[in-house]
Amino acid sequence: MALSRRDFMKQAAAVSAAGAIGMKVAPEALAAAQEAEKGWKWDKGVCRFCGTGCGIMLATRNDKIVAVKGDPAAPVNRGLNCIKGYFNAKIMYGKDRLTQPLLRVNDAGEFDKQGKFKPVSWDKALDVMADKFKEAYNELGPTGIGVFGSGQYTIHEGYVMSKLVKGGLRSNNIDPNARHCMASAVVGFIQAFGIDEPSGNYDDIEYTDTAVMWGANMAEMHPILWARITDRKLAEPDRVKLINLTTYTNRCSNLSDTEIIFKPQTDLAIWNYILHEIVYNRPEMIDQEFVDKYTVFATGPCDVGYGMRSNPDHPKYTELERETMVKQVRKVLSEAEGKTLAHLGYKAGDTMENKRAAGAIKHWIIKFEDFKKGLEPYTLDFVAELAKGDPDESLESFKAKLQQLADLYLEKDRKIVSYWTMGMNQHTRGSWVNEAAYAVHLMLGKQAQPGNGAFSLTGQPSACGTAREVGTFAHRLPADLVVANAKHREFSEKMWKLPAKTLNGKPGSHYTKLLRDIEDGKIKWSWVQVCNPWQNTASANHWIKAAREMDNFIVVSDVYPTISAKVADLILPSAMIFEKWGAYGNAERRTQHWKQQVTPVGESMPDVWQAMEFAKRITLKEVWGETKVDAGLTLPDVMPEARAMGYTDDDTLFDVLFANKEARSYKWPDPIGKDTLNTLAEGDKRKVAGFEGYGFFVHKYLWEEYRKFGVGHMHDLADFDTYHKVRGMKWPVIDGKETAWRFNADYDPYVASKNPGEQFAFYGPALKAMPAGDLAGPIKGDKVKLPNKAKIFFRPYMDPPEMPDNEWPFWLCTGRVLEHWHTGSMTMRVPELYRAVPEAVCYMNGSDARKKGIDDGDAVWIESRRGKVKAHAELRGRNTMPPGTVMIPFFDERVLVNKVCLDATCPISKETDFKKCAVKVYKA
Amino acid sequence: MSGAKDMDRNETGRREFFSRLARGAAAAVAGGVVWGGLVREGQNAPLALRPPGALSESEFLAKCIRCGLCVEACPYDTLQLAGPGSGEPTGTPSLKPREVPCYLCTDIPCTVACPTGALDLALVSTDNGRTLDVNQTRIGLAVMDYHNCIAAWGLRCDACYRACPLIDKAITLEHTRNERTGRHAMLLPKVQTDVCTGCGLCERACIVEEAAIFVLPHEVALGKVGDNYVRGWDEVDQQRVNPDGGAADQVDQSGAGALDYLNDGVLGGEVDDD
Amino acid sequence: MTESAAGPRSRHLRFLVARRLLQLGVAVLFVGANAWGWKILQGNLSSSVLLGTIPFADPFATLQLLAAGGMLATNALLGAGITAVVYAVFGGRMFCSWICPMNPVTDLANYLGRRFPWFRAGSRQDPRKPLARSVRTWFMALALVLSAVLGTAAFEAVSPVGMLQRGLVFGMGLGWWAIAGVFLFDLFIQRNGFCGHLCPLGAFYEVIGRFSLLRVIHDHKKCTSCWDCLRVCPESQVLNLVSKGSGSVLSGACTNCGRCVEVCHDDALALTFRQQGIAQSSGG
Repeated sequence: MALSRRDFMKQAAAVSAAGAIGMKVAPEALAAAQEAEKGWKWDKGVCRFCGTGCGIMLATRNDKIVAVKGDPAAPVNRGLNCIKGYFNAKIMYGKDRLTQPLLRVNDAGEFDKQGKFKPVSWDKALDVMADKFKEAYNELGPTGIGVFGSGQYTIHEGYVMSKLVKGGLRSNNIDPNARHCMASAVVGFIQAFGIDEPSGNYDDIEYTDTAVMWGANMAEMHPILWARITDRKLAEPDRVKLINLTTYTNRCSNLSDTEIIFKPQTDLAIWNYILHEIVYNRPEMIDQEFVDKYTVFATGPCDVGYGMRSNPDHPKYTELERETMVKQVRKVLSEAEGKTLAHLGYKAGDTMENKRAAGAIKHWIIKFEDFKKGLEPYTLDFVAELAKGDPDESLESFKAKLQQLADLYLEKDRKIVSYWTMGMNQHTRGSWVNEAAYAVHLMLGKQAQPGNGAFSLTGQPSACGTAREVGTFAHRLPADLVVANAKHREFSEKMWKLPAKTLNGKPGSHYTKLLRDIEDGKIKWSWVQVCNPWQNTASANHWIKAAREMDNFIVVSDVYPTISAKVADLILPSAMIFEKWGAYGNAERRTQHWKQQVTPVGESMPDVWQAMEFAKRITLKEVWGETKVDAGLTLPDVMPEARAMGYTDDDTLFDVLFANKEARSYKWPDPIGKDTLNTLAEGDKRKVAGFEGYGFFVHKYLWEEYRKFGVGHMHDLADFDTYHKVRGMKWPVIDGKETAWRFNADYDPYVASKNPGEQFAFYGPALKAMPAGDLAGPIKGDKVKLPNKAKIFFRPYMDPPEMPDNEWPFWLCTGRVLEHWHTGSMTMRVPELYRAVPEAVCYMNGSDARKKGIDDGDAVWIESRRGKVKAHAELRGRNTMPPGTVMIPFFDERVLVNKVCLDATCPISKETDFKKCAVKVYKA
Repeated sequence: MSGAKDMDRNETGRREFFSRLARGAAAAVAGGVVWGGLVREGQNAPLALRPPGALSESEFLAKCIRCGLCVEACPYDTLQLAGPGSGEPTGTPSLKPREVPCYLCTDIPCTVACPTGALDLALVSTDNGRTLDVNQTRIGLAVMDYHNCIAAWGLRCDACYRACPLIDKAITLEHTRNERTGRHAMLLPKVQTDVCTGCGLCERACIVEEAAIFVLPHEVALGKVGDNYVRGWDEVDQQRVNPDGGAADQVDQSGAGALDYLNDGVLGGEVDDD
Repeated sequence: MTESAAGPRSRHLRFLVARRLLQLGVAVLFVGANAWGWKILQGNLSSSVLLGTIPFADPFATLQLLAAGGMLATNALLGAGITAVVYAVFGGRMFCSWICPMNPVTDLANYLGRRFPWFRAGSRQDPRKPLARSVRTWFMALALVLSAVLGTAAFEAVSPVGMLQRGLVFGMGLGWWAIAGVFLFDLFIQRNGFCGHLCPLGAFYEVIGRFSLLRVIHDHKKCTSCWDCLRVCPESQVLNLVSKGSGSVLSGACTNCGRCVEVCHDDALALTFRQQGIAQSSGG
């Protein structure tokens, strides 16, 4: 009989009770530990998971990551980590790691869409992939292919793919999963400030008196930042106030002074209530000097739809689905909308024709009086009635909370930071809500100062660094340049040494549209990298069908078998984070680099290598001839100029884009990479596919070329070597110094050059010449130039396209849990995390459940007009739901909640609203 | 076969009868000692966690008929019937939360199934057994090993807290500042003894190699305060007082009773002479 | 061996097959209840529920618990009462040969011992001084005394029968060793050692089964004194009337297994209810 583990634990308990604090480590134990660590090599890295960007240290031994520690020198986390970060060492070594290219083949070993996956050589895989690419490209042109990118790409990977797809293949059909996560924030930044990303940084936490969470469950999704907020609260418990605005009780409520449960979508009405309070009741609180000097007022169209398919009669959709889809074309206005759109002459019951869906992004300058007029309906009474989210709460109590919220914002010397993540971004009016947040902060002059500002928290580790800064979106180029701007294209062509007019000026399909295009047969070749579209995109049933039933070829580069890999035709095994050199950029503009720590497992290879090997198979003449994009746009033949530049017809994209003369000037070995693996430069011990390295320092070249886009353009990044010596730096990095707060002369050197003598300069260059008009629309005339000005938007409250009714009585909200990362492909393979949270459950209100005879732990169906999914009901635990709302996390592929979700998006940002659709719930 | 030889022969004499009787009695006594020892050894499993509604361990063992009906009633395969050699009384039900915790079914099927009352509905219900209340379950008490708890290192874990079905009641978070980093708080899970059901969801969820939070039976996990002092600020605590006066423990410091001690001489070193 | 049957082989084994089927059936129902949630017969032989309503309980285990001081709930007492009445009135010590899963184990040992006598060649067993049958009765008393002393059901805590019947349903653990021990004891050391001499549960049923209706009756006129019945009988002392005179086997130790009836090629033995038995013997 073995000694019972419980006996052991009892001893452990006794020991710990005796001396948990101040325990001394015996010298012998220390020596033993040192002996055990012999042969370990420690190097810095960055956590693979969320947008917080914690620094970690990695220990390797015998070419394997053996341990991790929080990096005590990292300013974000100072040696700490969360439960996911704790397991960085384990994510790479799951049992079912993909180690070989897998292709669907028939008995003869040839590709067959209906075949089964079999291992093939890298050469065969890449050859088939390139052949299939050419088939699709020749048939459909640049829009016939699509790349699903990622906010978890390393910066180098994103840059390589952006250059390959846009510069090489002349297609803008590359879009990252960050579309699902940050696109609304991007629109908010660009439209309000003319430049992407927050003005502040995490140190705001230590400076502020007030943190308001607007749809940000920081306690679970930004755990280390929550520890900092908690610490701030503990430091001055009476002074510091925390307010948690949410649609259900989450873990932030625990510490918050006030929890405000609001009805889904009404956050915009609450922002407008605060603005109403400022403008109508306490105008003396307006920071008039700030507003006059640094801001203008603006608004945009409302008849813009909900980002759904423009054709509700699409043959692949059911009658039930059409009930919602038709609202993309026209919508009958509700009681609330009758009030909030009264300034446009609408009343409740009117039908709004959504004619300006394509022009949703347009906006114009208005006068303060117009702004004020728009805000008229948002009285406390109206908003409280509209926004109260918990039927069990009294209206008076809710009103008092809203009043308190407004009071905190308006309090003269109170510093305040507004935080949000997916609650505001994943929203059919996501861009609008983001802008409303800036409106409040700008009106009060509480922006871009330590402890004051509106701060969008990114979800992914490099949503900022890669998706946004590199510009892997369908409309972007590096450093905030956009494809639609001819000057930006010209600049980029020069940077990339491309013939003039190589770049395609028409923005490509956004992430959800890539899937819609596949369903419509408009895309026949796609490549999925570092993301899981078939699990993470709403209306998933459609995309799964489209992948398997349409004539197309889908390549998925991944590290574990995911749902997306399952529906693919070719799977390429990718190297994971510490198996390659890389860099991430976190939510506070901090760029952090790491070196390759270990050789990739099996035959897996870095995504950069995959892109380059693919590029080797495409010659210039195959993609640089005259190419029709659509009826209105044909890309010119750029081969003559290419030849003039010294390129030949049979040069490959690899030669031109990646292994050109400049690239080869970055020699390897390099002192910064001393004693470090570099699979791309020198190959590695495996010699996968006979690969022995490109012979030059690929990553350094990519970085140095990429950073030239931003230097001098307000996106200055430091040189490659610097980042390997420091614990990350917040851009812009000027003269070797990072910028803590942008737009503020005390911290940002750009203010002095852009707006000499002024304290602030919202110097972002985008959208700074706008028409003027009134609430109804722009008035013909000259565009107004807005140098150094931020825009204060008026945006009205509007209902989401699908709301609960008798048939579908519940709101469904989806989200995440602390223990798992996104679609769970990594964390579900860490045994400890799997055990901690083995499945996604359906959080539900107790009285709702009782009415339907559902008990805790019962299996229930959650069904919408689009599909259904089964999960176990959870009536207690971490999330407490108000009556009428259920919540399901999306990490669990066995509870594929995106089959239920609606793929409505913000019409401007095209970011899906994963936070609300209407469902019914019943016992399974 | 030599069947005839094997057969009993009816020629037992008196002496043989007494001899056999004595042998039988001796065997019974010897057997009883060995047998009793075996049973005692099996009973000596103070770390067994019993199903919801279980009486105190000694009462439980006096009532459990080892039928496994509770085990069969459990929809989560939480309960196991101890096999021989498991270190627990064979045939009695228990759970190992690290493997499968108790999910606290609101209809408590295990307790309902018990035919003998070893699992007592009165212990998991209100109104004298009329309304089931699974939150009254006291399988054991979750105990923290803060030395191996990564939340106590300052890391953001608190997986046990979020796993707790009575979150913020049975496990709460204690917020303290992390002096080392100067800018992070520690969110320390803390078990509330009077609320914890011992379901073990926390133990299962704990992400370190050997759980740093684990359920122990109350007898093992808890101390006991004497009834000579009650909390003056707590009305309920007065119920602890023994109505018969209590304080039965006595120490006779003088060794010989007060009078003898007082009458004993103090001069001339007699004290030392003892 | 002289077990060549007069009738067809099926008749020759009819009780044996029926017993094995019943033992197996009960075990399968218990296993099914635990593994697949069947609601026919739940629990185990210590206590069970038939069709979700009728409780049964091992009356001896119940007695032990009462001795241990456990004030049992009604269900258990009712179950024990029902079980005790069924055996006392109807089946006698039938539990041992028709239900108990240990019975096939000891029967196998017994069979092997008869078939291959060399198993017992080195045995120290003195046929003149076998282990007394009364030992199990002592053990029964001892179990109750120990239960009172130890505060738990003392036999249940060590019972190989319990280990086997629970183990079949809930997992054996180290229980196989106990079963093997019983088997080897019966095979090498004492013929019918466990059931016939040690098991207090058997002793208990012997006591309550004394006046049951089901009985083996013997017709002396047909008997040819071949002794086949005694050779197969696990409690051979109960057949002391064979070849001596007609009548019923009245000892509670008889398990009503019916082996003697099956092997008798003279039709001199029958398993029948007391009424008939008495009528027949008085008529003959």
